[in-house]
Amino acid sequence: MIIKANIKEALRSLLTGKQRTILALIGIVIGIASVIGMISIGTIVQHEALRQFEDMGVDILTVRKEFDEKNKAAKFKLSDILELKNYSPIILEVAPYISSGTTFSYGGKTMYIDMMGVTESFFDLNKLNLQGGRFISDLDEHRFFCVIGSEIAQFLRKAGFENPLGQQFASGERIYTIVGILKAISEGGGIRPGNINMSVITHITTAVRVQEGEIESFMARVGPQSPSQIKAEIQNYFSKKAKGLNLKLRTAEELIAQMEKQMQLFTLLLGAIGSISLIVGGIGVMNVMLISVAERRKEIGIRRALGAQRFDIQSQFIMESVVLCLVGGFIGIGLGIVISYVFSYFVKWEFMMSKSAIMLGVGVATAVGVFFGFYPSRSAARLDPIAALRS
Amino acid sequence: MLNIVEIHKTYQIGPTEIKVLRGITLTVEKGEMLAIIGPSGSGKSTLMNMIGLLEQPTSGSYFIEGKKISYDNDRELSKIRNQKIGFVFQSYHLLPRLTAMDNVGIPLVYRDMKEKEIKERAKEYLKKVEVEDRAQHKPNELSGGQQQRVAIARALIGDPALVLADEPTGALDSRTGQEIMSLFKRLNEEEDITIIIITHDPKIALQCKRKVELKDGVIVG
Ligand SMILES: Nc1ncnc2c1ncn2[C@@H]1O[C@H](COP(=O)(O)OP(=O)(O)OP(=O)(O)O)[C@@H](O)[C@H]1O
Ligand SMILES: [Mg+2]
Repeated sequence: MIIKANIKEALRSLLTGKQRTILALIGIVIGIASVIGMISIGTIVQHEALRQFEDMGVDILTVRKEFDEKNKAAKFKLSDILELKNYSPIILEVAPYISSGTTFSYGGKTMYIDMMGVTESFFDLNKLNLQGGRFISDLDEHRFFCVIGSEIAQFLRKAGFENPLGQQFASGERIYTIVGILKAISEGGGIRPGNINMSVITHITTAVRVQEGEIESFMARVGPQSPSQIKAEIQNYFSKKAKGLNLKLRTAEELIAQMEKQMQLFTLLLGAIGSISLIVGGIGVMNVMLISVAERRKEIGIRRALGAQRFDIQSQFIMESVVLCLVGGFIGIGLGIVISYVFSYFVKWEFMMSKSAIMLGVGVATAVGVFFGFYPSRSAARLDPIAALRS
Repeated sequence: MLNIVEIHKTYQIGPTEIKVLRGITLTVEKGEMLAIIGPSGSGKSTLMNMIGLLEQPTSGSYFIEGKKISYDNDRELSKIRNQKIGFVFQSYHLLPRLTAMDNVGIPLVYRDMKEKEIKERAKEYLKKVEVEDRAQHKPNELSGGQQQRVAIARALIGDPALVLADEPTGALDSRTGQEIMSLFKRLNEEEDITIIIITHDPKIALQCKRKVELKDGVIVG
């Protein structure tokens, strides 16, 4: 009964809504929204990363040549890379690639694309799928057949090519023939090179010749051995083939760790915003409560005279402070959900909301209410009944 | 009902001591209707607050129904205030944001009673003081006499053995004041409630069975 009466009383004093009450609430709202946003965006990102890695598999890694001023001459040779899988039983498959950005124009519209050169194995390693046609095969060496990513296909369709398959286009002095169209594919948590959806893919020998570039990286499917073991194996092989070549390995595990680190930074940021707003809001609530206690000294005196214990007075004001914070908390939870929904909408990831986040929001709001309501309510409870009555 | 033994109350304001009560000894029997009179500043309200356990004496002891009051137990004091004593103040002291009915129900809220039961009891007591038709009104929508009746209903709802009224008619015209007095007399006679009334009005004092006069913090008659 007391609890119900106190909640009613709390809502009543809230509804006589004063500016300072609203200001205090804003802090709580922002604080709780950050907490909710932080947790649910974290959940969304984690879920997406896992999905992408699952999609890609954790047995894939990327080896990159690190630029080294002293050893400019040390280079990957296509044949060395291809031979790696015969050299080591740990390396099950390799897929060297080369990639460079360029623009692609048609009908007055321009898009930024990647020109990629790959080998046949690239298709399997990246778990690609075709919408139509075929992928680049090792019979396409030095030939101008290409496979296009889904977004380029879409661009062409919009430009009026119902079926881009078999179409030809010019780039520089070369004329390419489109022999295949890929289905849309994710970035694989960063393991898949570049943006395949926006790439024009030829055989690596063609690309090396056209771009006059060098091969800087390759992907590999590896056995279940430890990353350090694999790294040693690859390093060992290339130290024989190309002295001074510095290698950098990117594994799925490493990428997950990296992503988690970035998430940590993000979480820390939101956490900081959240706790600062909660402290500011909490102090605002404390202020509102102190004023409320001062304005209602007489009420406190009357209630004491009619039999309220100190404890009753204290719980009345704590309850009021908690109700205040919970009102802010629920608005904050709503705002946090909206924020994370907007986030998931823009990054096109699946929206997720964890129940525990909402429960945490309610819990934090309650805790702020109890913590910042404690001092005002204690001072209310300690008022001398007669002094309170006289005011 | 109650025994007060050699009670002193001294206020310390900076370096000066104000001796408000100077050795009061008083016994009130159950079912008495007692008037406390005396000039302004003689310590009547202070004594009343002492009896009502709102104030702690500087020295002396106080027994209610034979039990000695210990002032360091807030729970116990609050319980006695809640169950044995009903207060009626000169300036009514109703909570402005609550309806008459909710005001009357406050003492029962601190007894953990169910809301429905409290409302029923409150209605019953509003009827007893003849303001049941104002149950849903806020205090500022009531006349002084009506407010005082609501305050009396609130003092009575907890079935107290003792009602303390500090100038209950002070803010009312003489006719309304007389009505309130009749109400007190009826309660005293019909329900055997012990009533202590502070008053300046000799006519009101005359209607009480016993008079105690206070002067400069001592009982003079
Ligand atoms: N909290 C206090 N601090 C200091 N002095 C006080 C305090 N309360 C009461 N007094 C003093 O005690 C004296 C008696 O006050 P009290 O209110 O008991 O008088 P009273 O007999 O009820 O007077 P009245 O008829 O005017 O109501 C007064 O001189 C008053 O100034
Ligand atoms: Mg007085």
